Amino acid sequence: DMKRKDAQMRATINQKLIETGERERLKELLRTRLIECGWRDQLKQHCKEVVKQKGLEHITVDDLVSEITPKGRALVPDNVKKELLQRIRTFLAQQSNI
Amino acid sequence: MTIMSCQHLQNYKVIHGSSQFRIIHAYFVACSSPDARKRKAKSGVCHLCHFPSFRLHACLYCVFFGCYSSKHIHDHAERKGHSLALDMTYGNIYCFECGDYVYDLEFEQIAQSQNTKSAKSLCLKPIHFSTWEPTEMEAEILRQNPKRRKMESRSTIGLRGLINLGNTCFMNCIVQALIHTPVLRDFFLADKHNCQPLSAESGQCLVCEMARLFQEFYSGNRTPHIPFRLLHLVWTNARHLAGYEQQDAHEFLIAALDVLHRHCKGYTDDKLLAINRFFTGKNGTTAGNPHHCNCIIDQIFTGGLQSDVTCQQCNNVSTTIDPIWDISLDLGPGPPLPNTNSSSSSSPTSGFTNSPGTYESTSLIDCLKRFTKPEHLGSSAKIKCSICKSYQESTKQLTMKKLPVVACFHLKRFEHSTGYHKKISTFVSFPEELDMTPFMSSSRNNNNGYRNQIIQESAKSLSCENKYSLFAVVNHMGTIECGHYTCYIRQHKDQWFKCDDHLITRADLPTVLKSEGYLLFYHKQILEYQ
Repeated sequence: DMKRKDAQMRATINQKLIETGERERLKELLRTRLIECGWRDQLKQHCKEVVKQKGLEHITVDDLVSEITPKGRALVPDNVKKELLQRIRTFLAQQSNI
Repeated sequence: MTIMSCQHLQNYKVIHGSSQFRIIHAYFVACSSPDARKRKAKSGVCHLCHFPSFRLHACLYCVFFGCYSSKHIHDHAERKGHSLALDMTYGNIYCFECGDYVYDLEFEQIAQSQNTKSAKSLCLKPIHFSTWEPTEMEAEILRQNPKRRKMESRSTIGLRGLINLGNTCFMNCIVQALIHTPVLRDFFLADKHNCQPLSAESGQCLVCEMARLFQEFYSGNRTPHIPFRLLHLVWTNARHLAGYEQQDAHEFLIAALDVLHRHCKGYTDDKLLAINRFFTGKNGTTAGNPHHCNCIIDQIFTGGLQSDVTCQQCNNVSTTIDPIWDISLDLGPGPPLPNTNSSSSSSPTSGFTNSPGTYESTSLIDCLKRFTKPEHLGSSAKIKCSICKSYQESTKQLTMKKLPVVACFHLKRFEHSTGYHKKISTFVSFPEELDMTPFMSSSRNNNNGYRNQIIQESAKSLSCENKYSLFAVVNHMGTIECGHYTCYIRQHKDQWFKCDDHLITRADLPTVLKSEGYLLFYHKQILEYQ
């Protein structure tokens, strides 16, 4: 039941974020931060290595996704996470006021 | 892996064209209107599990959205024989027959134009959607110059020694600091200086000379550079620094920034004066606005120093904001005035003393606290209050209204008073990372209403706007009569080097932080576009 409520809340928040365009803005902010801190370059390098390993002819997008997703998630710096979280909190606070 | 289309997609296009793709992309991938966004928010879910999953795909044959990870879209494709789906996160086409994503030029162009529209509608910069493609001319240039430089973590690119041309170590240190100022470096390496044709030809433009210097430093050449042309230009543009005597590095920095600022627009002195007069009005005051100039020097170095004078009688606050290029900090309350009966009679007329015991060792933060502390202007310095219409005692407080991208702190180690010149060698500790929030004007405003305004240090501010990182330290060794300048600079994110004229050696951060420190250069950690 908790899981369902959680999922429901997530869906509602997601909807609000999309409707107001905030989701796109947050995506842009996240992109910028991840480029700034070198995350993108790191992951790009990792992708290249995976492709080298598997061979350019045989690799699929799914292969890459399964290879780099865990590393990508782990490498996001804490301050970036904090900043995004803060932005979302602020946004939600504003929404409840309206 | 394909980077091109597949037969299945081509067959689809022949029959169905691009309209289905266009519509789905416009409403679910790159929304340009509130209406589209509402639709996306409401309907952007999997038709099977009703979950707005991460990699939702839309069928290109019928109206169906399905998750990728839970294979809902795969099931649909198999059951219905609809073998093409659109990835709703990025707009790419998945072909189930090929088992991978395929790319079609026409679809990509449609997606590109929709992405641009979508970004515009949210006032975002659509720069991330397009990758750089060289033009024919650029490709030709690249082919003709096949040598490539690889940036590794231990590469020494950008490091080069400077020959001392006769007590020019003060200039060498400032040059090193400027060369390693990240935003300035980016400006010059991107070749952003457009000189007025006359200035460029005459060779009199200091900014052009800076650009040439950057080229020299990043050429990969490891022999020391001889900056004779730079020295000559400085002498002609800042006469007070001419000559082979040792000068003050701080004075040189301000003079250099001033000349660079003037030359950035290619203006001669009288032209700039006329423009200044036009902007600042009849009475010549700048009315609280920082520099009107938009040159790279002002963009990087100019900050706004706010001075608030509070009348003690009526509490009226009069505020002025002055543009500044650096922050000069006193090191402490200072020793008592020297007199011939004091214990320092051992050196009364020699003209210089070096008594470290006079000032207690302190820190940059303490100096800044002192700098921004409200100061009671004594009864001998009454200010005329515009409200009370009379001369009243007042308090004055300095805070930072606008922070520059690069903050230069000048520790006032050289004292020149009548009768004695002295260098204060007290240790001042400075941090690698600095948060300027407590010294901002906004922090002061939060304490309004209190007579004795103490600036509280904000605890753990999540905003990174006021955070700075150290990248250069200019040190002076010796006494006021005879001394030598060296500097530490940060190359790459964490590699420190000591620059002693033509000798560049590796250094580590603890050594840098323990050095005496005369000029401290900090760079904003996060840059925002205005």
